[in-house]
Amino acid sequence: MEENEEGKIVKHEEEDEEGREQEIWSWGAGTDGQLGTGKLQDELLPQLLHLTSLSSAGPISFLACGGAHVLALTSGGKVLTWGRGTAGQLGHSDTVNSPHPKLVMSLNNYFITHVSAGWNHSGFVSDTGALFTCGDGTFGQLGHGDYRLHCYPVKVSFFASKHVEQIACGMRHSLVLLRGDEVYGFGSGKRGQLGIAKDKINLVSLPERSCGFEGVKIASITANGDHSAALSADGHLYTWGRGFGDTLSAKTPQHLPTSFCFTKIALGWNHALVLTGGEVFMFGGNHHGVLSNPDKMTPVKHSADSRADSRAVVLEKVPGLEGSRTLHIAAGAEHSAIVTENGVLKTWGWGEHGQLGLGNISDQTSPQEVSLSHKFRKEASLIEIYCGSGFTIAIRTSCRPSQAG
Amino acid sequence: MSYDDVEIEDMEWNNELQAYTYPCPCGDLFQITKEDLKLGEEIARCPSCSLYITVVYNVEDFLDKKSNKPIEPSKQQPITVA
Ligand SMILES: [Zn+2]
Repeated sequence: MEENEEGKIVKHEEEDEEGREQEIWSWGAGTDGQLGTGKLQDELLPQLLHLTSLSSAGPISFLACGGAHVLALTSGGKVLTWGRGTAGQLGHSDTVNSPHPKLVMSLNNYFITHVSAGWNHSGFVSDTGALFTCGDGTFGQLGHGDYRLHCYPVKVSFFASKHVEQIACGMRHSLVLLRGDEVYGFGSGKRGQLGIAKDKINLVSLPERSCGFEGVKIASITANGDHSAALSADGHLYTWGRGFGDTLSAKTPQHLPTSFCFTKIALGWNHALVLTGGEVFMFGGNHHGVLSNPDKMTPVKHSADSRADSRAVVLEKVPGLEGSRTLHIAAGAEHSAIVTENGVLKTWGWGEHGQLGLGNISDQTSPQEVSLSHKFRKEASLIEIYCGSGFTIAIRTSCRPSQAG
Repeated sequence: MSYDDVEIEDMEWNNELQAYTYPCPCGDLFQITKEDLKLGEEIARCPSCSLYITVVYNVEDFLDKKSNKPIEPSKQQPITVA
């Protein structure tokens, strides 16, 4: 509430002008508070969060889920965080877990436009192109030129005269995309995930420029585990870092030779999902997040190199998604989630902590539908999906049934 | 099946847990103690789930020598481009 010019009390509606209502559902591993439920336990089924701190902060426009913590960006440029905080990754100037969303006070004077959560570190980008990082710095992944933990977001001075657009945090490394298409890496480079040199790299605590993007317009960067990826504006995919499945590590960005135009990529620890033309493809090895049942797979080899190159990545179409275009993809360490154009949410992969939201702890080799109880007509809602290492969060935005009169 | 093979120098010494640790995909940590390593144990388990990793190391590095001091984990000394 606030006073208007005439001194009268004006009450603000909880929903925005268009009557949208937002629901946040979480499930999976929860013992560090990463589900935001206030309870420190796993949940096998989607839990609707009832949180005053969330509704008072305004609608959530974007989530970043890390090893066991969550960064929530509001449409007003504020950041709420919750979950594991033992390395300072929540940015609350302490090193304790928070089972409830809390506003990151030290960013209050900035309008934050992008966030990313790694295993135990966090990155925040402001509308003015400034980058802030906090959390575990053991591997140099905060980019401050040291190997220390920072328990509140500290501006990365290396980028002081540059305009940062995106940050992507992996297990022990970080990537930065600048306006003007330069990509930088810092942190652990042991698997080549920084993409900065053909030589063997161990640790880098100050950002260094990744190679191989000269003349390429980069639209987005992604990191998870020891993997790194970038999508160009014209839909080309580049990956570097630890190899997927039997493929070797790559110390510099490798262009995936295919005629596909990719619109999204999601990285797990041993698999990746890519979206092209509403279809989902996956690549990876024999781990949980991968559909390893050969009978169900439709391998589509998309290597322009016909030799048996160990670098060649094989894309495999995810079965069971026919008949409906996929809009969103997300990958946890060893599980996957997608949302179709019809608002259907599906998960598969490793399920031991309930991260598939199916009410059990079974693994799934093909996508299974997750049901969120419906207050609204299905077609009147939009779902966005995000995965942390062992947990999943869905945001459903519903249009209120229009009122008569 | 072992989730991954991890070299000891890629594990972190955790004082609180008194164990070498490595991230587990569930969100918790694979753990192995120095005592386990001295015994030649290769498996680091996660207390929260069924997964485990195989630790790659030299058991001699952890046996009590005359110095009676097991080597410290490579405490991530900053090394830039080799
Ligand atoms: Zn685990």
